[in-house]
Amino acid sequence: MLIDTNAHLGPWPFSHLTEYSAAELVAHLGKHGIAQAVVSHLGAVFQPDPMPANRLLLAATRRQAALVPMPIVNPMLANWREQLDLCCAGTALRAVKILPNYHNYSLTTSRLDPFVAELKKRGVRLVIGVRFEDVRHRYFGLRIKCVPQAAIAKFLQRHADMQVLCLGLSLPEVRELAKTCPNFLTDTAFIEWIKSMEVLSGEFPIERVVFGSQTPFFVTRASVDKLTMAQLSAKARAAYSSVNAQRFFSL
Amino acid sequence: MQAIDIHTHPVFLHKGYSKKEIDEFASYGTAHGIGRMVALGDVLAYGRNPNAKQIAAINDQTAQVVRWRPDYYIGFCYLNPTLGAKAVEREVERCAPYGFRGLKLEVANNARDACMAPVMRAAERLNLPVLQHSWSMTNIKQRSFHTDPADTALLARRYPNVQVIMAHLTGCGFRGVLEAKGIENLVVDTSGAFPEANILEYAIEHLGADHVVYGSDLPIRESSVTLGRILGSKLSESELKKVLITNAQRILKL
Repeated sequence: MLIDTNAHLGPWPFSHLTEYSAAELVAHLGKHGIAQAVVSHLGAVFQPDPMPANRLLLAATRRQAALVPMPIVNPMLANWREQLDLCCAGTALRAVKILPNYHNYSLTTSRLDPFVAELKKRGVRLVIGVRFEDVRHRYFGLRIKCVPQAAIAKFLQRHADMQVLCLGLSLPEVRELAKTCPNFLTDTAFIEWIKSMEVLSGEFPIERVVFGSQTPFFVTRASVDKLTMAQLSAKARAAYSSVNAQRFFSL
Repeated sequence: MQAIDIHTHPVFLHKGYSKKEIDEFASYGTAHGIGRMVALGDVLAYGRNPNAKQIAAINDQTAQVVRWRPDYYIGFCYLNPTLGAKAVEREVERCAPYGFRGLKLEVANNARDACMAPVMRAAERLNLPVLQHSWSMTNIKQRSFHTDPADTALLARRYPNVQVIMAHLTGCGFRGVLEAKGIENLVVDTSGAFPEANILEYAIEHLGADHVVYGSDLPIRESSVTLGRILGSKLSESELKKVLITNAQRILKL
């Protein structure tokens, strides 16, 4: 069974991506053996307040048991507690995603401290969206960069008692972060090199990797085949495919 | 289905110098359904502008790869057009016994540059395809030496008797596909970049399935992903066969 931790609903204005309805996304992922997916709404990336998109997400996924909504919160907005209230009330999932670069703040700011403290108090998991796409050839007008590895490291060190899932890390970034930070998980979407899964399982604790398809940005089958065709131990395969995601998200 | 991968680097950044490594690379490909691979050489081993001696070393190593596994690898001759007409012609001549099936160009210069003329004349004379590294230079400000899809398209238009392969469909982007549209002697390879959705279908729609050919860019990428992005796109059986097999057979004269 595959659990996808990196899938999206909603529109992306900068490329020809397929905009799935919740039912279409379930059918599409199911066709590729993905039984459950943690999804966010891309409308929350660019709009000044993520909550309208989060409400759409919660409504769209209400009747889709295979989709687990993961709201996007902007902790720099004055109403971040209200955002958390709504997100936690509307979903069984105890996790929120933040997008520091798309929401114009640094992971190193101390303004995140009360937000993180509140997450810990409520028992809510934190997910950091590091990148959505390859910046080399995306829409020229979009200047937002990926979350810098150094800032992620500082954040992880500052909150060393907290496990954080980073979505969209590359293999070199995982390698660098692993040197100083034992408290992060990574998804598989942007990790690529020949035999990437085998390499990753040899270098990085297997309990800290979760499957991510990056649908609809990526061809879902390509992301799935990367994992299912890899020569992994049964333990690593199960961990990457579902066990780690189940544990992290309490699914 | 045994696909042909038109864009690989079995020797890459000074790795792959033993027969064992080359055999393992081939076994990896076979296990993923790749019947044959084009070996393009360790093109960045000495930086972007290698001298004649370095070019010769890279081509000798490609020839060694093919000698080790002639059943699997097809070699391309790597050239640096900025070394001048004599150096280009000398290297093409020197490599003739190797039986290379194409010429490979990287980032020594832009494909618009006048120094391309000897390369293209050699390609025309020997009836060899030219595989030109290409990437959108919209965000990467290196166009003085790094080829944009518009430059590769111009190259193909200037030399209509030479089969040109524009590398890296995803890096060339939707704009790159439109640059390539309507140029009979130009095909785009699918190598490189992440498996971004919908661009392959867009390329098939605008260029036709005869003008898109499978490539991976191994070992920078992996076959499960590069094949998965083809097999997971909305292509007909006939289109799949062209992209994965018959276009490469035509280009490589297999």
